[in-house]
Amino acid sequence: MSLTNPSSTGGPLSATTTSSIRPAASASVTQNLNLKRSAQAASDDLVDSKRSPGGGYTSKVHVREKYHIIGFISSGTYGRVYKAVGRNGQKGEFAIKKFKPDKEGELIQYTGLSQSAIREMALCSELSHANVVELVEIILEDKCIFMVFEYTEHDLLQIIHHHTQPQRHAIPASMVRSILFQLLNGLLYLHSNWVLHRDLKPANILVTSNGAIRIGDLGLARLFYKPLNSLFSGDKVVVTIWYRAPELLLGSRHYTPAVDLWAVGCIFAELLSLRPIFKGEEAKMDSKKTVPFQRNQMMKIIEILGVPRKENWPGLVSMPEYPQLQSLALSRGPSHFNKPSNLDGWYQSCLKNGGYSSTSTAGTPGADGFDLLSQLLEYDPTKRITAREALEHPYFKNGGQMSANCFEGYEGKYPHRRVTSDDNDIRTGSIPGTKRSGLPDDSVVGRVSKRLKE
Amino acid sequence: MAANFWASTQRRHWLFSKEKLAEIRDNLKERDKLAHSQFPLPDSRLLNIYFNQQLTKLGKRMSTRQQALATAQVYVKRFYTKVELRYTNPYLVLTTAFYLACKMEECPQHIRFVVNDAKLLWPGTSPYPITSVSSVRLFLVPSAHTYALDFITSDVSKLGECEFSLISEMNSQMIVHHPYRTLSELQTELNLTSDEVALAWSVINDHYLTDLPLLYPPHVIAVMAILTAVVFKPSQTNFHGTGPPSLAGALREGGITNALAAIGEKNSPGPPPRVQRVINWLAESEVDIKAVIECTQELVSLYEVWEQYSEKHCKELIGRMVKSKNLDK
Repeated sequence: MSLTNPSSTGGPLSATTTSSIRPAASASVTQNLNLKRSAQAASDDLVDSKRSPGGGYTSKVHVREKYHIIGFISSGTYGRVYKAVGRNGQKGEFAIKKFKPDKEGELIQYTGLSQSAIREMALCSELSHANVVELVEIILEDKCIFMVFEYTEHDLLQIIHHHTQPQRHAIPASMVRSILFQLLNGLLYLHSNWVLHRDLKPANILVTSNGAIRIGDLGLARLFYKPLNSLFSGDKVVVTIWYRAPELLLGSRHYTPAVDLWAVGCIFAELLSLRPIFKGEEAKMDSKKTVPFQRNQMMKIIEILGVPRKENWPGLVSMPEYPQLQSLALSRGPSHFNKPSNLDGWYQSCLKNGGYSSTSTAGTPGADGFDLLSQLLEYDPTKRITAREALEHPYFKNGGQMSANCFEGYEGKYPHRRVTSDDNDIRTGSIPGTKRSGLPDDSVVGRVSKRLKE
Repeated sequence: MAANFWASTQRRHWLFSKEKLAEIRDNLKERDKLAHSQFPLPDSRLLNIYFNQQLTKLGKRMSTRQQALATAQVYVKRFYTKVELRYTNPYLVLTTAFYLACKMEECPQHIRFVVNDAKLLWPGTSPYPITSVSSVRLFLVPSAHTYALDFITSDVSKLGECEFSLISEMNSQMIVHHPYRTLSELQTELNLTSDEVALAWSVINDHYLTDLPLLYPPHVIAVMAILTAVVFKPSQTNFHGTGPPSLAGALREGGITNALAAIGEKNSPGPPPRVQRVINWLAESEVDIKAVIECTQELVSLYEVWEQYSEKHCKELIGRMVKSKNLDK
């Protein structure tokens, strides 16, 4: 089943739909066909008649006709995410990710889509798995891209945050276990399809109200099967720094699915301690756009795991930033250099502070949890545990049943996702007077804000 | 799924039966008979040869890899199952498919460079020498009126807009599985010589000139290409690139069909050992042999029709169509 643009159900045979979408139809032909389209929806004709002479692209599907925008969820460099509900009998709640077009001056022009938008659109159209966010459709309209996803009420960042309020109370061990299993399960699916996520972090791990984990935001994801360019050459900075694998910090050019598993290790640790385990400060790119050595982040890792050594990680010496690492290690003195990993100490105090014990109601991830964590936070990417191996780990095998609902047995309630209603205008941010169908849209907005006030 | 062909959108949405494909095209034609009679175009395979040559030229100017060109050609084919060619400016569609394929195959090109190169490549008349050195390219940006006859205007938003059409018509299904991957996977398994691989590779290149990418899965194409290569015995011949006439000859003589007929009667005095080895492998694999034979036939007919190909003729017919319908505006 197609996850995208259901407009195609009309098929290539339907004259009314196809006629409106020729890339460069002549004016005369356009008019001709418009005359034939007698009973086409009035609003469509409205748009068509406004089309520039010589034809052009018009969407067959209109985001505002199909979805009722409730409010604004979040924004990023790519654009904004809105919450919506289906209209005209389409049931359910949706998150609509709108990629904004690059602005050139006042007028919004077609400038070519960004490579990351293209990747995300293509990958989300192919992928389908219970632990990967579900794409409903993609609408290309008004020079914008609207990716319509299923709506998820929660994400791990919000859940972790909730457990620090009003005072810290640990996430139950069984919930952590279910979250981690589902996360690894989704990741195994991505990796077996040659997809690297490259930006796993709590904010990108979505959770439905039924406690299902969905890996989200594939904006940085890409295929790693024999890419034409090396994975390094494209985007040099990848993964939010706290979750960035050591080989990336050391400038590796050949990174692998192992980078995603390091991030899973960091997320595991954060679920238990409610704080990022390696909370470094990012060194900013200089004016020459060279990527600096992330000294502070590397230091945060070393403080817990000790200095990586070539005896345990043979590839270490060939890392571009190896000299930087050596000078970093030397600057801390020989005593520091020889300090072994203190992950066990970190783990034990984390369990203690969180009140995790075999007798507590929260339960405990125990020794199996530590073993898995240490295999995820393995310095050498070739030795780091894979998603497939991790799913077979005693941490999941022992300790009984695991629920596909991570909230199962949890008494508490998590707050709903914050949706602000002051910005529910999903339109292209076009300047007044140039927008194409201002009237119907304004009436929608009016109705929504009224309803929200009631 | 991105790496699994069986679950891919390519298999689920972009493979057609021959009959279905013919029906789709008949329907496109039926909808605007007038345009079809006013603007006759060459056989689709000849048009594909023309498109392929134009794309290859653009790819060479911008030093792009073969796989991006292959993906671009598949995009063009998919697009024209949805949209009547006579409503489009094929030069703009080609350029856009190229631009999009480069992004998808991780060798992106800046939209302005693509537009400038396409503009220089398909001029009405060009007073500038052709160069593809990118540093020089910047100084070659021509003024709009000099190039009033160009098939591509310097306005990048035209290409950006066409990109929306292309993606929308393809339902954002942009990941394409190519036979090249199967070829390189089977290279070791079948112990192919580098000559054989090179010939199989160019047979795969040629299959983009036919409807085969819309008809058969990539591994069937790859097997057909490998069989063609081993039957043709490039080691014994002086082979330079795609040589339609000689290859067509070899295929027409029925080398492959005869070889495949030997499957099941292993004791008969069959083909030479190298061919036999591939045949044996094929017999044990689950590859659809009937489909492989149909693919070779399609290729034979391509090489036959190739003899009628005239670049000038294609260029004139398309040019006349685009200009008289103002599709380039």
